[in-house]
Amino acid sequence: MTIDNQNCATCPAHNLANLVKLGIDMSNFDYVVALAGNPNTGKSTVFNSLTGLKQHTGNWPGKTVGRTEGGFQYAEKRFKIVDLPGTYSLLSTSDDEEVARDFILFGQPDVTVIVVDATRLERNLNLVLQVLEITDRAVLCVNLIDEAARHKIYVDDRALSKSLGIPVVPTAARQGIGIQELLRNIHDVATGKYICKPHRLSSEIKNVSNAVDELNKKISKAFPHLPNTRWIALRLLEGDQKVIDSVRSGEIGNLKPVENFDE
Amino acid sequence: MSLLFLLIIGIIFFVLLIFILSPEYGLISIIRRMKKEQTRELIEDALKHLYDCEYNRVDCSLSSISGNLSLSKNKTAEVIIKLEAMNLISSGENKISLTSEGRSYALRIVRIHRLLERYLADHTSIQETEWHNIAEAKEHETSEEEARKLAAQLGNPLLDPHGDPIPSESGEIPSRKGIQLNKLENGKFASIIHIEDEPKEVYSQFSALGLYPGMQIYLVENSKEKIRFEADGEECILAPILASNITVVPILEKEQVKESFKKLSSLKQDESAIVVGISKAMRGQQRRRLLDFGVVPGTIVRAQLKSLSGDPTAYDIRGAMIALRKNQSDLIYIKRI
Amino acid sequence: MNKTEEILSTANKLRWEVGENIHDSILESIYKEASNIAGQVVTRTGEKPKFDLDRFIDRLVTGKWTGFPIMLILLAVVFWITIVGANIPSGWISFLLVDSIHPWLKQLLVSLQIPWWINGIVVDGAYLAVAWVVSVMLPPMAIFFPMFTLLEDFGYLPRVAFNMDNLYRRVGAHGKQALTMSMGFGCNAAGVIATRIIDSPREKIIAIITNNFSLCNGRWPTQILIATIFIGGAVPPYLAGVVSAAAVVAIAVLGVVFSLVVSWGLSKTVLKGEPSAFSLELPPYRPPRLLQTLYTSLIDRTIFVLWRAVVFAVPAGVVIWLVANIRIGNLSFAEHFIHWVDPAALFIGLNGVIFLAYIIAIPANEIVIPTILMLTALTTRIAASAGAGVMFELDSAADTAAMLEAGGWTVLTGINLMLFSLLHNPCSTTIYTIYKETKSIKWTMISTFLPIAMGLIICFLITQIWRVIA
Repeated sequence: MTIDNQNCATCPAHNLANLVKLGIDMSNFDYVVALAGNPNTGKSTVFNSLTGLKQHTGNWPGKTVGRTEGGFQYAEKRFKIVDLPGTYSLLSTSDDEEVARDFILFGQPDVTVIVVDATRLERNLNLVLQVLEITDRAVLCVNLIDEAARHKIYVDDRALSKSLGIPVVPTAARQGIGIQELLRNIHDVATGKYICKPHRLSSEIKNVSNAVDELNKKISKAFPHLPNTRWIALRLLEGDQKVIDSVRSGEIGNLKPVENFDE
Repeated sequence: MSLLFLLIIGIIFFVLLIFILSPEYGLISIIRRMKKEQTRELIEDALKHLYDCEYNRVDCSLSSISGNLSLSKNKTAEVIIKLEAMNLISSGENKISLTSEGRSYALRIVRIHRLLERYLADHTSIQETEWHNIAEAKEHETSEEEARKLAAQLGNPLLDPHGDPIPSESGEIPSRKGIQLNKLENGKFASIIHIEDEPKEVYSQFSALGLYPGMQIYLVENSKEKIRFEADGEECILAPILASNITVVPILEKEQVKESFKKLSSLKQDESAIVVGISKAMRGQQRRRLLDFGVVPGTIVRAQLKSLSGDPTAYDIRGAMIALRKNQSDLIYIKRI
Repeated sequence: MNKTEEILSTANKLRWEVGENIHDSILESIYKEASNIAGQVVTRTGEKPKFDLDRFIDRLVTGKWTGFPIMLILLAVVFWITIVGANIPSGWISFLLVDSIHPWLKQLLVSLQIPWWINGIVVDGAYLAVAWVVSVMLPPMAIFFPMFTLLEDFGYLPRVAFNMDNLYRRVGAHGKQALTMSMGFGCNAAGVIATRIIDSPREKIIAIITNNFSLCNGRWPTQILIATIFIGGAVPPYLAGVVSAAAVVAIAVLGVVFSLVVSWGLSKTVLKGEPSAFSLELPPYRPPRLLQTLYTSLIDRTIFVLWRAVVFAVPAGVVIWLVANIRIGNLSFAEHFIHWVDPAALFIGLNGVIFLAYIIAIPANEIVIPTILMLTALTTRIAASAGAGVMFELDSAADTAAMLEAGGWTVLTGINLMLFSLLHNPCSTTIYTIYKETKSIKWTMISTFLPIAMGLIICFLITQIWRVIA
């Protein structure tokens, strides 16, 4: 693993060894895309329109169980797309959240597409901000804009893209609106054409900030290339066993550094 | 005829099962009670009691141990001799104290006990009053490896549900903070940090009053006869002897909450309010679920829809309609806008 | 101390300083930020419309006076369309698969000089069982599931759960169980799969175990036939229709009552230790898309369940044919078994034929009646049109009544069969689905044996009371 950033902006960023461990076969694909999102945001519909598969999606929070995979081609690149279980958060202890979290943290997908419900943006941003703490390569898909329009709700995608530092694509996946745009943005982020500068939590966390800073310094010293030390520090302070184990075994150090800019 | 036969065998089997499993008089519990006389459990319980004394900075005597283990003085003396022979305790005149080996043994048991309680509180729907007894029974049969797995599964918790710190694997534990409730002065704000879970009768009184660690209280009256205080806006009265089972830390002026909070359940249809806190009695998965929905201090909620039978009620929470049962909305505190 | 251990021990030390509230604090600050960002980018144009359709519908479906009638009417319409609408295609499929292709296949194998026993096993056993299952099971499911799915996609079903939650909370269950239970009226296996929407572990297992108390569409025909013959037959003719219909409804309601009582019992006993966390989100209403719904509910639910049923029906068909045709001495294996269990079965108010039918027809409740008729014909030596040891159904209830009475059936047998049809083990498709969903042998066993034990005990009690009174 080389840390030669400049030469290889277009190289896949995913962690092949960890992906294999997570059960993802990458032999016929160039890039891997993770699909995250709250339950009932039309995530499966987005998955279907990206891959052309047909899976039933009811108007129920939490219908998809487990992990579904599919593939698509765009601009002569082959993408594998992994539909993660719908979750509200990546911090809790449920199995679903662990599956989603582990995939994004250890698999280091080339792009993580986060699907949010335009009518419930505020609540959905919880997950978005958490994902952006873990990964630098993400595309936000603001879905159900048709429904939002019906309720007279409009989301300023440019302003949102600016404050989050990632591409934002408004879609109405049921009608196929915005899917081409989404594909293009996935491609651009995967190939390094678009360089994300993701938003990181800035506001002080009550009574915690000092502890985080102290721990953060130690972690960055031990693992200088780790992209998300602050997040690791928070997880350690919460007693997250999986992260503790991966720090102890040094496995966390195997995660690839971010390209293009230093943390 | 054979099926009738089977049916009869089935019924006999069922009766036999009741005979064996019945909690009070069943064969298993009789055997268990007999087993209790076995040394290991006695030794562990005695060590735990000694540790409790040490932690609470009171002296331990033979009679307090025999009282705690409900064992005759003679039997207790036997246990103590055994403990001394194992170099787990040292006894002076009228005072028995733990050796460092004894302490780390005791801490191991305390750790397992508190982890088990935490598990029962967060990951099962077992009643609060039963946690202690179940943990008491299971602590002797849980290995260190199992305790480690349990801790990992629980996210390495710091405190048990009564507010007691859980010793770390290497036996570290922070020293005691706070004062007993009956020593708090009139007109002071404090927050409960610990509720003693023994004896069971006393604890069930606390849990009936709805007291829990993390709760804010305001002491109205402290006299010889009674301790009167407000807890989450409701008045409670306790005898001083009972109040000594509750540990509190006084709260600084700036953190004080002047007005008593209202509960989310008091919100009428189409009214809005700001969430100011979630009760610590909302635990485990249930608590995390609420936080994930965005029920955090500062969130504006609005009562939107009542179910046709009156419960649950759907609230508009950050743009989504979330239905909460009354026993959930009772544990969320709000301030009217 | 190496670097990583140092990090971890620092973290441990800091954790005691930071305290337990860190999780709450993190989410609080994330949400603070989220609401800042959302405040900047989300705009709501125009005044809030005076008439908000979503709110209006919500008020209507959860209203004190309107909520229940709407729910009952919608459910009644769904069931009515299912039952009435399924009859016609069922008849077609049955005519095609059972009346036309079956004899033709049999003839074909004869003309090919295939030995009679292979012909029996393959055509009269495996093929006929599959044909029966498909013709009885497919049409109602193909009608019921899309309609249910439409209500689901529209967003109405979460409101039903919302309305029913109070009742279910009291028995320790989740309001969504009302939905999985309704789904169970279509098919228990589909009902069990539907419990995925319940995200609280304890309530999910309760919903799985009690789903079998919903009278599934394979059991309705049994109920209707037996009620017509025995209950309707016991009252004056002008009352027969009403009374027998009432009896069937009573059984279905009894099933609902059982599901509540058992839920309560389970939540207080074996499931006491399982974690429980209630959450229910009411999604916005969405206009359902007809074609997509039809397609996906057919593929996801109907074909999926039907396939599982067919897989189980093949071996069962073979077994049914074999027990009726293998002879030990003068009698078939089935007759030996029936004579052997008859005393015990009669003692609890059923009979050996019913016992054997429920054992060998475990793949699908749909083939219980054909199996019972076949076995009755076998034991009473009445020549059946389809040939000895072959499942059949009679065209009229009167013929069936005559056949059953020849087999020694009484009104008591009829009542007990209705009860036993409600309270017995789930079909093998459902049992397999329960195992798939719970991945636990324990819950699968409880789901299987709890209802059968209840059924035996209740039939026994009814019989004793009957004998005292009569």
